[in-house]
Amino acid sequence: MPGTVAPEIARLRKLRREAQERRPAREVRICATGCRALGALEVHAAFERELAAAGLAEKVALVKTGCQGICAGAPVISIEPDGILYLSATPADVPEIVRTTLLGAQVVGRLCFQGPQGPIPKRSDVPFFARQTRRVLDRCGRIDPASIEQALAAGAYEMLEKVLTEMTPEDVIGEISASGLRGRGGAGFPTGKKWAITRAAAGSPKYLVCNGDEGDPGAFMDRAVLEGDPHSVLEGMLIAAYAIGARHGCAYIRAEYPIAIEHIRLAIGQAAGLGLLGENVLGTGFSFDVQIKAGAGAFVCGEETALMASIEGRRGCPRPRPPFPAQSGLWGKPTCINNVETLANLPAILRAGAREYAKLGTPTSKGTKIFALAGKVNNTGLVEVPMGATLRQIVHEIGGDIPKGRAFKAAQMGGPSGGCVPARYLDLPIDYESVKEVGAIMGSGGLIVLDETTCMVDIARYFMDFCAKESCGKCPPCRIGTRRMLEILDRICAGKGRIEDIDKLETLALQVKKNALCGLGQTAPNPVLSTLRHFREEYIEHIMLGRCRAAACSALVEAPCQHACPAGVDVPDYLALAAEERNAEALTVVQMRNPFASVCGRVCERPCELYCRRTDVDEPLAIRDIKRLATDAVAAPWRPPEAWLERQTSHRVAVVGAGPAGLSCAYFLRFFGHHATVFEEMSSPGGMILVGIPEYRLPAERLKLDIDFILSTGIELKLGSKVRSPDDLLAAGYEAVFLAVGAHQGAPLRGISTDTPGVLDGVKFLRDRRLGGATQQLCRTVAIIGGGNVAVDAARVARRLGADVTIVYRRSRAEMPAYPEEIEGAAEEGVRIEFLTQPVGLITGADGRVKAIKCARMELGSADESGRRQPVPVAGSEFDLPCEAVISAVGQVVAAESAWGLKLTDEGTYKVDPVTLATGRQPVFAGGDCVRGPASVIQAVADGQRAACAIDRLLGGSGELPDHLSLSSRRFAVEGEPAPARPRPPMTAPAARAASFGEVAGTLDRAVAVGEARRCLRCDLERAEELKRRRGERPR
Amino acid sequence: MPQAVAEKKLDLAPVARIVAARAPFTEGDAISALQDMQDAYGYLPRQALDELARLTGIPVAKLYGVATFYGQFFLQPHGKHTVRLCRGTACHVRSAPKILSAVSRHLGVGDGQTTEDMVFSLETVACLGTCFLSPVMLVDSQYFGQLTPDRAVKVLETIRGAGRPEGG
Repeated sequence: MPGTVAPEIARLRKLRREAQERRPAREVRICATGCRALGALEVHAAFERELAAAGLAEKVALVKTGCQGICAGAPVISIEPDGILYLSATPADVPEIVRTTLLGAQVVGRLCFQGPQGPIPKRSDVPFFARQTRRVLDRCGRIDPASIEQALAAGAYEMLEKVLTEMTPEDVIGEISASGLRGRGGAGFPTGKKWAITRAAAGSPKYLVCNGDEGDPGAFMDRAVLEGDPHSVLEGMLIAAYAIGARHGCAYIRAEYPIAIEHIRLAIGQAAGLGLLGENVLGTGFSFDVQIKAGAGAFVCGEETALMASIEGRRGCPRPRPPFPAQSGLWGKPTCINNVETLANLPAILRAGAREYAKLGTPTSKGTKIFALAGKVNNTGLVEVPMGATLRQIVHEIGGDIPKGRAFKAAQMGGPSGGCVPARYLDLPIDYESVKEVGAIMGSGGLIVLDETTCMVDIARYFMDFCAKESCGKCPPCRIGTRRMLEILDRICAGKGRIEDIDKLETLALQVKKNALCGLGQTAPNPVLSTLRHFREEYIEHIMLGRCRAAACSALVEAPCQHACPAGVDVPDYLALAAEERNAEALTVVQMRNPFASVCGRVCERPCELYCRRTDVDEPLAIRDIKRLATDAVAAPWRPPEAWLERQTSHRVAVVGAGPAGLSCAYFLRFFGHHATVFEEMSSPGGMILVGIPEYRLPAERLKLDIDFILSTGIELKLGSKVRSPDDLLAAGYEAVFLAVGAHQGAPLRGISTDTPGVLDGVKFLRDRRLGGATQQLCRTVAIIGGGNVAVDAARVARRLGADVTIVYRRSRAEMPAYPEEIEGAAEEGVRIEFLTQPVGLITGADGRVKAIKCARMELGSADESGRRQPVPVAGSEFDLPCEAVISAVGQVVAAESAWGLKLTDEGTYKVDPVTLATGRQPVFAGGDCVRGPASVIQAVADGQRAACAIDRLLGGSGELPDHLSLSSRRFAVEGEPAPARPRPPMTAPAARAASFGEVAGTLDRAVAVGEARRCLRCDLERAEELKRRRGERPR
Repeated sequence: MPQAVAEKKLDLAPVARIVAARAPFTEGDAISALQDMQDAYGYLPRQALDELARLTGIPVAKLYGVATFYGQFFLQPHGKHTVRLCRGTACHVRSAPKILSAVSRHLGVGDGQTTEDMVFSLETVACLGTCFLSPVMLVDSQYFGQLTPDRAVKVLETIRGAGRPEGG
């Protein structure tokens, strides 16, 4: 009927025009769906009152919208056409918004998105939105989902009109096929193909089902679309139904989404009222109706055959395919099942045209994808990006990074059917195929960010628990297999795993994957397989070491701080003692596991604080500062309780190197009663602590306190004593040898030879300065190469010697391995840092001395194994950095002369058994930097401790460190008012530091430290209580 | 569970109304009928299931099979308030297990149980789809997000005191 327009269509167009004209000039949009949970309706009511009071009720429309995307800022408000975005507003903020923004045309800064440079008022400038491509979510959050007029005004049903009047069903199928659209429910089957098969299938009537059973934990895309723009789904259903020739439709929505059900029900009524649904749609002769089925809480019903069983009123058990639903579906008739997001894509595709639509995406995956971004990420919410976007873009740029300064560990994609994508794939363009290759699946789009405090074995256990509970029980591989896998995972998480469990788990997983009946069962092993693939070492640590590196598995972890401490220091216990100012006892508790209490009170990298549970409430405890105060408060000399040294044996052990690893090993050997002799090449003990840590971080006398304490246990220390070979020691009658020779030799850097006059090695520079060997007046301009602690220490020392200092680092600040507070301190003292700069060669003067470094600018490419971005040179960016001296600090290796024929790693460190620290040669052990490369003091202490235990076992002992010796009162609750917030220790002003090697950081005030210690949540007590309760409950 | 409740004479009129509203009743209506029955009775009493079977001709065994398959249905009387704790992935990694243990300790009941005074029924759900609020719990129809163990317990104390939830 070309030329003529059916009266129904004319009426629709008129309605749309009127609705467009009716929209007022100004709108306040409040998300009233997801944000309801955080008081959106109260904010809405406040606006109603305030607008009326200000006489704006007629001029400003108040719109209750669906999800606006940035759920982390709920309730979310936008003001149009100004484009202003306000987050986390309360009813109390509303009068100010009305006064300042609606009447005064000013912005309320504190309610805006807070960027690094301050508030960002415009929604389009907020990185969260600026980096998205919102096509499917276009109307979501812009209109009132309960108003069909607003949907019409924004273009709803225009494409239906076009399809019904201008296209044949074959045209529609052709267009969708050409667009490359693939099912958004997870499997990614081409939508056009599915339609063509259903259309061609014999049987009548045909059915179209909208799958809104979004059961994946961690997914809320479909919920948002159904709640925020139900007409887009309905229009999609009508288009799909027309294409396949379906007469009846069913929207199957999970019962947990009451607002979604309410909105789609409302939308169906409105659409039917306008002749968009039912008999003879828009007078075109096409008929289609939709009924709603509310799911009843069964994850398996997301599987299409189970979903159909559920619609038919039966238990939601899947059945084997073929026959596929397209041939025999609901009530035996041809049925097409499309996911909510797939359907919502259809109007957008037809509007843009297949060719235009297909320009977005990757060769195999077209268009955009909505992700539900949640977990350990700042900007949680709904994110729509083109296929081919990277995880880095989603998590870091849009998601605004990981909260609390923790590091990204993995992204869980695809829920219980998916897997964990580790940091090394941060730059992988995401599409159906690429995600599958790395062991996860696109799934419906749930994307949960995991950080260092997430245990990967626990995540696998969590999903297996879910799948075992949700297994419908029809096929044995899934029903029994998931249960058996769960048992194994439970065992491993409880620290009762056996090493062969890993193989057993893998075998079971592969069998279930191969033999299960439906998608749920076939994919249930994926979380296990993917964590085994990318995080196998965590499984091994649980089994072999009883360690959960995330400090998350409750059976293994008494308190996360203690568990995170490599040396196992009982943190909550000494915090409790410190809270009562029983500092001597607190110090003893520390020393029970770490003899370097004073050193660690100042320079520890404090993994304890990273895992502190108080972080979830506000900020982690200032554990290091409290320890420091305790060590400052107790008068020296310190002596260990006599009970610690009661045991005596006649075994003799040699330790090579008097650094933190060597001295700790000797110290713990004394606990076991063995004789320990420490051989040290240098004239003073302390190793890298002495020669590597400048005085302004650690005054010499503080180190001496710890060393005197250690030596008071009766260790024999031989200074200036160079060991030629461990064999000599064994020949001399020592029964075991622990090598802790450190990594004191700077790693070489291509193009930068330390033989050139004016070029120094960073470690050597620090050593010379500390040992007073060369207090050389340094040159005026110094360039430091590297980004680790040695580089920053060298820079700050050079600065104190009066030099103008530039650090040259090839990556950016975010990747810099030095401690953040040290980088900050250096910057305060006037050290410049040239980021993204790589030295490529030296320029020397006529005298042969260095006069400049030739540098190239770098940019960050894709991630390496650890997820850090690899620098790549920018072509033609070379420049010269003038300097009179260069200090190279790009890592350290074991001095070649100490290799002694032992096996070395590629990094030039000793290869040892990770559990016992035994080298390949009995009875020689090794630990500390000479095994790990440059690492922290506490790691070295832990290695010394572990080696001492292993050596004790070798000598016939139990290898168990004595526990709680001579400490009478423990595990008590602390009374009193906690500090209101984490205190900062006093710091010397930057100006006063410049020419001084005096200590920069100060000690906390006593009263402040007491209050701070009271902030501890006492996870240890909670756990003790739980154990007590469990014991108490058992008889019942 | 309370024998007395099961034996009490039940008003079966709601079942008849629910069936009549769906005439002609087919097997496809079974789940939505059970949902409405649960709304009417607060749970699915045995007598009501028998009545539904009698009126529709669907064997009670089949209805029972459906009712026990889906997580939404309960065959025992429920508390006045239903506490649904989300055990979704986002909540899990944000310490939901600690909330569950705190709430369960506070109420003295485990997952799927009802307090003796019939005030609270505690359930865990796979995911509430409000991951941005994690960790989250739903009390009746009100969401409480960004919980800590203490806050969760406080919410329940407030509800027990006031008889109804207050502010999210």
